Amino acid sequence: MALNPLTVKKLRRFRSIRRGYVSFLVLTGLIVLSLFGELLVNSRALAVSYEGRLHFPTYGANLPGTAFGLGYSYETNYRELKKKFAAEGSKNWVLMPPFQFNAFENTPYQNVFKPAPPSFMGGPEGHLLGTDTTGRDIFARLFFGFRVAIFFALAFMALTYVVGISVGCMMGYFGGVFDLIVQRLIEVWSNIPFLYMVIIIFSVIPSTLSIPARVGILLVVMVLFSWTSMTYYMRTATYREKARDYTSAAIVIGAGTGRIIFNHILPNTISTVVTFMPFTIVSAITAVTALDFLGFGLPAPTPSMGELLKQGTQTLTTAPWIVSSAFAALVFILTLVTFIGEAVREAFDPKKFTTYE
Amino acid sequence: MNQVLPSLRLSGRWLLALAGVFFLVGCGKKKEAVVERDNTAEVKAYYAANPNFFRFATPADLPKDLEWENGADLPEIGSPAAKKGGTFYTFLQDYPRTLRHVGPDANGSFRPWLLDDVVVQWAWRHPTKTDVGPKGFHFFSGLASEWAIDKARKTVWVRIEPNARWSDGVPITSDDMLFAFYFWRSKYIQDPWYNNFYTTNFAGITRYDSHTFSITLPEDRPDMSERVLKLYPQPAHFFKELGDDFLERYQWRVVPTPGAYTILPEDIDKGRSITLTRVKDWWAKDKKNWRYRFNPDKIRFSVIRDTPKSFEAFKKGEIDFFNLSLAEYWYDKLPDSDPLVQSGLVQKNKFYHDFPRPTFGLWMNTNRPLLDNREVRVGIQYATNWQLVIDKFARGDWQRMQTGSDGYGEFTHPTLRSRPFSIEKALESFAKAGFTTRGPDGVLVNAKGERLSFQLTTGYEALKDVLTILREEALKAGVELRIEVLDGTTAFKKLREKQHDISYTAFSVSPEMYPRYWEDSHSANAYDDAFRPDGTMNPERKLKTQTNNVTSTAIHALDQKIIAYDRSSGADEMKKLAFEMEEMLHEHAAFSPGQVVPFMRIGSWRWIGYPEDFHVKLGKNFTEWMLFWVDEEKKKETLDARRTGATFPPVIRTYEQYKQKN
Repeated sequence: MALNPLTVKKLRRFRSIRRGYVSFLVLTGLIVLSLFGELLVNSRALAVSYEGRLHFPTYGANLPGTAFGLGYSYETNYRELKKKFAAEGSKNWVLMPPFQFNAFENTPYQNVFKPAPPSFMGGPEGHLLGTDTTGRDIFARLFFGFRVAIFFALAFMALTYVVGISVGCMMGYFGGVFDLIVQRLIEVWSNIPFLYMVIIIFSVIPSTLSIPARVGILLVVMVLFSWTSMTYYMRTATYREKARDYTSAAIVIGAGTGRIIFNHILPNTISTVVTFMPFTIVSAITAVTALDFLGFGLPAPTPSMGELLKQGTQTLTTAPWIVSSAFAALVFILTLVTFIGEAVREAFDPKKFTTYE
Repeated sequence: MNQVLPSLRLSGRWLLALAGVFFLVGCGKKKEAVVERDNTAEVKAYYAANPNFFRFATPADLPKDLEWENGADLPEIGSPAAKKGGTFYTFLQDYPRTLRHVGPDANGSFRPWLLDDVVVQWAWRHPTKTDVGPKGFHFFSGLASEWAIDKARKTVWVRIEPNARWSDGVPITSDDMLFAFYFWRSKYIQDPWYNNFYTTNFAGITRYDSHTFSITLPEDRPDMSERVLKLYPQPAHFFKELGDDFLERYQWRVVPTPGAYTILPEDIDKGRSITLTRVKDWWAKDKKNWRYRFNPDKIRFSVIRDTPKSFEAFKKGEIDFFNLSLAEYWYDKLPDSDPLVQSGLVQKNKFYHDFPRPTFGLWMNTNRPLLDNREVRVGIQYATNWQLVIDKFARGDWQRMQTGSDGYGEFTHPTLRSRPFSIEKALESFAKAGFTTRGPDGVLVNAKGERLSFQLTTGYEALKDVLTILREEALKAGVELRIEVLDGTTAFKKLREKQHDISYTAFSVSPEMYPRYWEDSHSANAYDDAFRPDGTMNPERKLKTQTNNVTSTAIHALDQKIIAYDRSSGADEMKKLAFEMEEMLHEHAAFSPGQVVPFMRIGSWRWIGYPEDFHVKLGKNFTEWMLFWVDEEKKKETLDARRTGATFPPVIRTYEQYKQKN
């Protein structure tokens, strides 16, 4: 696809802003890594060679202990299997991922479930950032919590923009009574307090729903109450573009409304949208973290940064590593996204590239 | 029976708003409320309309053969070393929504301070001498100077202390007890539980003179004396304005009390703090069993919503004591090695108590698919690793609950034991139910492709870690528990609507003589028309909601035993029936007994005094029974020491005199 030369110029400018560009690379790298998270952070082995046969348990079905000559029918504990094979000195071997704990298992520390300090602070081996109040690995929970949060935020952004841009463009393009009515509707709608709605809706949705369904509902509810802010920008931008000659020309040629809005006007207003994107992501991550913190977000035991932050504030004095890792991770990610946002805004700044006005 | 924690928060957030509306309405109507009302005539007419219940006699009508008793020979409660005076500082998580004792919102966490722990009943069950005597429990005198029990006539006679007074100075008379029945049965109070309880459980009240009355019960039960003596009167003069607007009119009015503490109007700072003040020249201040209790002059509550925050306030000395029962607090947040403890400024006490235990455990709804299969339920029982929770979460301090009615002394089954965690036995049971193969996620699947997966609901945010532990362990036995942590009120609502699969919850039980079975195990509380006349299950039965039979248990043979038990007058017969029913319930396996927390762990500043043996056997929490006191001299000394760095010998004690062997 041939890019608009203007867009190419903008992208080149973006690449030249080092801080933003590096942040972009790091974040993209993290997202790609998180897609293969199960290969990096997992209690399941990457590969097991048992009696001459190779097994790859990571993505497949749960392999019972009996498959490896262990006396139990529940899922194999690969860390112990590795130790067992090593002790036996047999030809069997286990290849574990770099981080050997998943986000759900409770590992006791000093024989009870309580937070264990990070391994570099004298805590048990393998727990890079220590464990939380029930002995779950903080690194694993942060890692998968990041994956959930970032994809949630991306989906949130996509949905709010689809709705917000469509409605905003329509308001700007049609104008008149339509604009007036929709504006009033939006004013009313945006005055409904979002947080209370989430709390109310979550108290009535049936609990029999699966976790993905509940996450989906949370997403829909958040989108329902967040699309409105986008409409104002798109409305004014469309108003402006509608008055331009190219729009009149398109109308004269006989292009349909949809074609005019999405093929002609939208590309010319997109710079406004693009500059907002990273900040929408920041607010989505913040919102889902805040909701988790309040206990209305992602259902337990989904790994989440908000839930870790909450635990951390309750154990400030006894387990400061919980709050510090969660806080540091959150700040790190939000800073990355913000840097990207700044660079995008600068690169796409319409003042720099607008050819007429 | 109430649910333990949610009952404290019975009214949800939206009710707070509603209470706010009431409050505003109350303000708006202030001028109107001056309109005097006098319901004396209405009350008299009610008595006249119910001549069988409200009877009027003369002192001459008193039977001559009564054996009067007053419990004077029972050991004294509290410590003679107690010092009067000072202010006791503590906190509330939520501001009381009303000062009424009854009606909507009244059953909140502040009610013990308004009523339960402060009121003086006619007589009280002795909290340390708790065995069952020939006449039932042992009682010491409260508002009654003496009482007499006649089982043949199903009646208890009471003589009122001549000097007993309400906190506003008005004497307490028999008329206040008559009025109490009118009050509790009145539609005005908008409290169906009271309406029902005081209509069905009592057969009549007879007034002999201003200080003598008797109450008759519909049937002779082993705990007859308790049923009458634990009643208390209502101030007829104060409720003269009782009417349709009861809720608004009495929302923030302090009810006169026979007890030691009342609230002065200037001490109500809504949303922030509330203070109890000791009644001046309290009528019972020199009475045995009352004189060494209710010691501080004032008890001040500030609102601190957040537990970690209130703990910090305690460590600063702004709050006098803190409940350290959770292992996290006892071992990690205030360990024995903490400077505050080692310098003797803060004392740590662990006290084992003994009373009917809140029924923590998994309540399985037998009306749900798969859970209607007994083998599945038995399998789940074997698949729940309570011992791991006890060992690793509670650090070995809790005990395993054995039956649904632990802690009733002679009425608790002596040998029955709950099922231990065993993957083999769980798999065996699941196999009997047709679940033999494991799916790709390790969860068992039956021939029809149904997964062995259940929703596990709780309203206890603080105990959600227990569930994550149970979940991980249950997965090993091939059963998936999907955890749902709800807000307390919502969880309780879901439970009462029987919408749950499995619920981790507890019903709190007051220290009664014997366990109740009708509420949580009789079919009448599970279904309408549970059985056909021949005793088999009725396929068209209808689920009944809003009852405590949250397992939807309906067993015909058990019903018969419950009825016999509830009609029995002999303690021995009841024990036999109780054991048989307990065994049937064990077989039925719908309740997986969880944990018993057999102790309270209290951290308190050095200036808080308490008896040598710390507490009474039935003491549920530190403040119940009001045995503590504030030592002003020590407070000054301690605060000085904190400034100068002086230290005292550390105090870390355990009291095991009432500890039960498990």
